[in-house]
Formats: sequence, C-alpha cells, structure tokens
Amino acid sequence: MASSPPIEIDDLTAGYGSNIVLEGVSLRLEEKDFLAVIGPNGGGKTTLLKAILGIITPLKGDIRIFGETVGNGLRKIGYVPQRGNFDSSYPISVYDVVLMGTRVMKGYSPRYSAECHERTAEALEIVGIEDLAEYSLSKLSGGQMQRALLARAMAGRPDILLLDEPTASLDPHIKECIYDSLRRINKDLAIMIVTHDIGVVSTHVKRVACLNKNIIVHDEPLITPDMLEMGYHCNVELLAHGVPHRTYGEHDHD
Amino acid sequence: MTDWGMVLSIGLIQNMFLATIMASVVCGVIGTYVVVKRIVFVSGGIAHTTFGGVGFAYYLQSVYLVSWFTPMIGAIVFAVAAALIIGSPRINKIVREDSTIGVLWVVGMALGVLFISLTDHNVVLVRSYESILFGNVLLVSSQNLQVMAVMGIVILSLVAYLYRDLQILTFDETQARISGINVTLMNILLYVLVALTCVFVMNIVGIVLVIALLTLPAAIASMFSNDLRQIMVLATVCALVLSFLGLVLSIEFSIPPGASIVLTLAVFFMLSLGIKSYHDRGAVVSKAERD
Repeated sequence: MASSPPIEIDDLTAGYGSNIVLEGVSLRLEEKDFLAVIGPNGGGKTTLLKAILGIITPLKGDIRIFGETVGNGLRKIGYVPQRGNFDSSYPISVYDVVLMGTRVMKGYSPRYSAECHERTAEALEIVGIEDLAEYSLSKLSGGQMQRALLARAMAGRPDILLLDEPTASLDPHIKECIYDSLRRINKDLAIMIVTHDIGVVSTHVKRVACLNKNIIVHDEPLITPDMLEMGYHCNVELLAHGVPHRTYGEHDHD
Repeated sequence: MTDWGMVLSIGLIQNMFLATIMASVVCGVIGTYVVVKRIVFVSGGIAHTTFGGVGFAYYLQSVYLVSWFTPMIGAIVFAVAAALIIGSPRINKIVREDSTIGVLWVVGMALGVLFISLTDHNVVLVRSYESILFGNVLLVSSQNLQVMAVMGIVILSLVAYLYRDLQILTFDETQARISGINVTLMNILLYVLVALTCVFVMNIVGIVLVIALLTLPAAIASMFSNDLRQIMVLATVCALVLSFLGLVLSIEFSIPPGASIVLTLAVFFMLSLGIKSYHDRGAVVSKAERD
C-alpha cells in the first residue's frame, strides 16, 4: 500500500437529507502536500471535513486514507478544530488537552501510558508551547489556544494534519507564526487546511482547491479567476486586498 | 435548644445523615460533568420522569402485590429509560434533544399522578405528593440505604474507570469521535449515570429539588477552580458541608429538610458569585493599573 496517497477522495457526493452540499468532488492529498481548500460559507468545506473524519457517511463516492477506509485510517489523522467547535471555557490544563491527542494509543484503558506522556511532551516542544503546559485553556489567547490544539493533533504522531480555519480571527503577526509552524511540520507530513482566509493562503501553501459544491484543484498556490468566479461570483478587489500580485496568476483557460 | 445527642441517636436521623454523605459525593462528581457539559436541562428532565416510576411502583404494589418493586426501583427504571430515550440518536435525528426532554418531563409527571390516583391506598401506604416531590429525608429506610450504597459504588467506579474518556467527551465530541470513543454510547452512559444520581438525590431533597444538589455545588466549585478533578473534590466538600448545614438548620427551626438544604446551597451560591465577581473586578482594575 506504499503507493496509496494520504487522502484520496473519489467522486464524493454528500449532504444532509435532500440537501446535496457536495457533488462529484474528487481530490488527492499527496505525501508532504500542503493543500488549502477555500470556498464561500455554505460551500461545503465543513461537510468535506466531516466526511473525511467519518462524522457523516457519503451518499456516493469513496474516501480512502492511505488506501484504507475512513474507519481504519482515521488514527493517522491529526485534527485541529475551529474555535467554537469545542468548549473553550472548559476547566482543563493545556497539558491535559494535548494528552488527549494520544487517546488512540490508550484505548479504553483508564490511564495514559508513559509513552503517551512522552509524546505529549514532544508535541508541546514541536509547537513551542512547553511553557504553557500548566496553564488553563480558558486563560489562553486565541493564538496560544490554536497552538495548544495543534500540539494536541501532533501528539498522536499523525501522518496527515487537517485544520479547520486555523487562523480565523487572529492578528496578522500571529497568523504568520502559525503558518511558520505549519511549514516546519510540513517537512514530515501532509497538511490540508480548510479556510476562507484566502489572503494568507496563497503565500504559504503548495496547492489550492476551491470548493463550492463542486471543486477546482490547482497545482500551484494560485487563486485563479475561474475559482473566484465559481466560488464567490467575483468581488475581486476585496479578495485581492493585501496580496494583489499572488492572487491573479497568468492562467490559460482550457 | 435542640438536644443533639438525643437527636443523633435516632436511627432515622442516622440514616438521613448517611444518605446525605453518599449523595454529596455522587453529586460532587456527576454534578461536575453536568455543569461542564451544560446538561442541566437533561438532568431536570430525567429527575422529573422518576415521578412516573414512583407512581408506577405504587400501582404495581397495590394491584399485583409485588412488594419488592419499591418506588426507588420504579424510579430507577423510569430514569434509566428516560436517559436511553434522550440519548437515542434515532430520536435525535427527528426531534431536537430539548424537545424530547420537555415531553419526557411532563409525561413522567402526568404518569406519576395517574398511577397514584389508580393505586388502592388501602393496600399500599403511599407517601404524600409533598414528600415525594419536595423530599423527606426522614423517610430513608435502611433498605433504601443499601440500594443507594450499591448505586453509589457503581457510579463512582464507572467514573473512576472512564474519567479520561468522559473528559474528552465533555470537552470536544469531535475529538472524542476521531480518537476512537463511541460517542453515542458514551453519551448514553453519561446520561444513565446522571439518571442514577437523580434517583439517589430524590431520596434526600425530593424530585423537584434534585437539580439543586446536582448542580449548585459543582457550579460553586467551578467558579474557583480550572481543573476538573479539583472541581469534583471541591463540589463534594461543598455539597457535604452545605447539606449538613441545611439539615441542622431544618431540625433546629423545624422546617422541611429539602427546602432547607436547597436554600442553604442557594445562599452560598449567591455569596460565591458575589465574591467571585468582586475578585475578578479587582483583578481587572489592578491589571489596568499595572498597564
């Protein structure tokens, strides 16, 4: 199975009841890939994540993680949720949050093993938040919280990292720091992020895909006019603000 | 002045204090999960459904003379059934969870009234509505105490074993799911633990006031700690001290123990709220001065 890509999605159709949110979506995440999936709200980004994480079952099509079914492959994925999808006021220390990332090794045994604790320390170090270990999660700033969740995802020693809106509502400087960490991590594993923050995306990732029920994948970190057309029905000026040169690449229509 | 030496030598009073100690520990632990997972309404629904079970037990006893099916066992059956229904993913797909809870809440109460009215009061000694709903801890029998002890051990050992997984579940369900926890089953299990706790507590403060002992100590504790385990310990101590204080006050002033315990807890809740908000404001001011 060495040749199987980290994630392979083939002709995926998914939705809720009669409401089809994704239709005929095919996507490959390659080894050491750094893919950003962008798209408008309601374009199906969250649904795509839910399908990969096995929270919803596809209506049609297939998702493979290193050639395995979602159920079996899931343990190879580290997931960083969007703020608001977990209880940020929960009474818990950063260390215990990161420790959760090693639950897969623990199974239903009541205790985390010494190895789980080692991996937790290692993950805190990779992300550079050793000094925050004893802090309460609820006392952290937005950027620190994002790092704690990134460390949690890394503690499971994943082969794939999935991030949902990793830099939403963060300062530009903090955003840069998070992307620096991600680029470092990207040397060893494949990363897929889902975001509507396209300003940051094009300067940091290797490939971009635009999702709005259907998908357009581009093998360069460029956001093309047809992506914008499909995704946003063009408010180009607003979208291009801050990164005008990278946003519009030369692009021949084929 | 009350002669406490004499009072404490009475068997029923001893039962009352024993029951209160056990309930405090169970409430401190389970109440903490209820508070951090914000499922107070779930607990309310389950607690009120037990009234149906109490009525059902009286009815069965009077018609079929099954004396082993005590009101407490009836309450356990109804509470666990309510927990299973509220946690059922099949039902949650069709109706919002809080609507289901509302239905169970009123149906449980209505069934209780119906069954008690159908019960032949000449065959079975039925407790007054007042004592079922608002508690009369003086009626805790030694047999009830034994059932409570078994339930307490079951609840606490399950929590001790699943502590870490319940922590993940109550913090972040998606993470729980992707790290291999059966979220549906675990949620149902948590609801069942809450159900058993409700039955536990209804012996002390009555059905309507269960929420007080379940949530107030944990709510007070969570103001002063940011660690789940610490909150559990603090909540247990809080429940123990305040419900004892409530019991003492009730004997001293001859007021119903249920109401006395609840009001004691409520007064301390408000006091804590005041202290906490004063303290936080102080912290903000001193930070502003530093800056």
